[in-house]
Amino acid sequence: MNATPSSKAMELVCPAGTPAALRAAVDAGADAVYLGFRDATNARNFPGLNFSREDLKEGLAYAHGKGTKVFVAINTFPAAGEPGPWHGAVDDAAMLGADAVILADIGLIDYAARKHPDLRRHLSVQASASSIEAIAFYVREFGIRRAVLPRVLTVAEIAAINAAAPVETEVFAFGGLCVMAEGRCSLSSYVTGQSPNICGVCSPASHVRYEEDGDTMVSRLGGITINTFDRDEPAGYPTLCKGRFVANGETGYLFEEPTSLNTLQILPDLMKAGVTALKIEGRQRGRAYVAQVVSEFRKAVDAAARGQTVAAAVGLDAVTEGGRQTAGAYRKSWH
Amino acid sequence: MKPDSPMTPPLSPTLLAGMALRPLPLAPLRPILALVMAAVVKRHPRMFDPLRDFGDPVFVIDPVDLPFVFVLRPAAQPVGLRAERTAEGIAATATIRGPLPVLLDLLEGRIDGDAMFFSRELTISGDTEAVLALRNSVDGAGVELVPELLSFLGPLAVPAGKAVDLAARVARRFDDDLQLLTDALTGPGLRRVEAQAARIRALEERIAKLEKRAKGKVSPT
Repeated sequence: MNATPSSKAMELVCPAGTPAALRAAVDAGADAVYLGFRDATNARNFPGLNFSREDLKEGLAYAHGKGTKVFVAINTFPAAGEPGPWHGAVDDAAMLGADAVILADIGLIDYAARKHPDLRRHLSVQASASSIEAIAFYVREFGIRRAVLPRVLTVAEIAAINAAAPVETEVFAFGGLCVMAEGRCSLSSYVTGQSPNICGVCSPASHVRYEEDGDTMVSRLGGITINTFDRDEPAGYPTLCKGRFVANGETGYLFEEPTSLNTLQILPDLMKAGVTALKIEGRQRGRAYVAQVVSEFRKAVDAAARGQTVAAAVGLDAVTEGGRQTAGAYRKSWH
Repeated sequence: MKPDSPMTPPLSPTLLAGMALRPLPLAPLRPILALVMAAVVKRHPRMFDPLRDFGDPVFVIDPVDLPFVFVLRPAAQPVGLRAERTAEGIAATATIRGPLPVLLDLLEGRIDGDAMFFSRELTISGDTEAVLALRNSVDGAGVELVPELLSFLGPLAVPAGKAVDLAARVARRFDDDLQLLTDALTGPGLRRVEAQAARIRALEERIAKLEKRAKGKVSPT
């Protein structure tokens, strides 16, 4: 186990899109690594990414050898009448010795609870459980041990949930942001026919095109122009939610701007709110991102646990989307 | 470095070396590239497996600071890597464009591809899915180009490694010097441009205020 200075230190749950990223996360001080199989059963079903069963076996050996846990994300919703791949993913995660599965679909959680009662079950952010009652239901009926909270809650609301909900909570600490309709977003399927909820992929790369047009770069999704970036202007992901459109004669980001979540400065607040674990987003990112972000958060989480001031990590600017950072809903000023 | 390139290369040792290399023929480079690729594939035999889903994709990798492009066929047997003067006439599945140091850092997993894309230091065109598959496959394999190539030199690996380290140190120092030179040359001009941009912003704000005031004075009909 990676040494932490206090039992109060929040657990650092880190992304691994590839075996190399897994090793990078473990070496940089992750307490746990989360990953997915190479199919539509996880929400980062991207080409060239994810783990075969053999990869997982090797990854588990590497992580466990260094005291790091491995969680398997099986967090998409099975297609009607075709639960086979999802059931198989749960069975294989259990058989290979994963420390937990991260699940969203209520039927799949039920399957895992009945078939593998000893396998630790985490409720995925995709389940969108944002109230004490919803979380308590999953705990009571399916014995979930941890809920990953949707990115819609303030720190005060998280504290209220932790005070009453009989379960550990995990919150997002760094990385890409969605429009906060976890598990319910249809923007990608509206344009491409594929969604993160069923197919495991938001704005699939097969539908994305980038074109250089003089000094500007145009990004298109499913034939629709999503954005136009001036020369040297920081770019973002080609998702509809981060598109720049003309409305009422003005050009702007209608849903949200390309910005990354960064909670470094509010880690002590999250700790006081009773959060058990912090999740770093980015299974689609390279191992350099994983190594850098995990390393910075390892230092910050340990500093927060010692009651020390958490320093801003300047180097993280370079890996943020659009070159910008936000505390997101944790400090939301809207309703 | 190439007249038709949409990306302006930074002033760097690579750019200067590329200029010096321009008159030379590419033929001697071809067997070297074939050897490099064979060494990498031998060490990472499964690296390009996901690319087979795309048939026989052809990637043009354009180091904007060199006078040639690389053409990579990762699903071919054997894997193909060759240098060409220009990408013209190549039926590319996708093109990846950036300064050579950035491309090498990406290959060895020292930098994050998305971050380079966000900062516009890397551009891609063509089949985005194929590019993503290539990026993820290479990043996931954990390629370490220099040690892997050195390992093929047997007893010469140690002195060759020292030579590479020395060359890297010299290149870094040269790069720092060039950066200083660039700052000295462009600094005064940049400061003038920034001052003008600030003035334009102030004028725009003033115009917006005047327009708002003018609208307020027009009574509705």
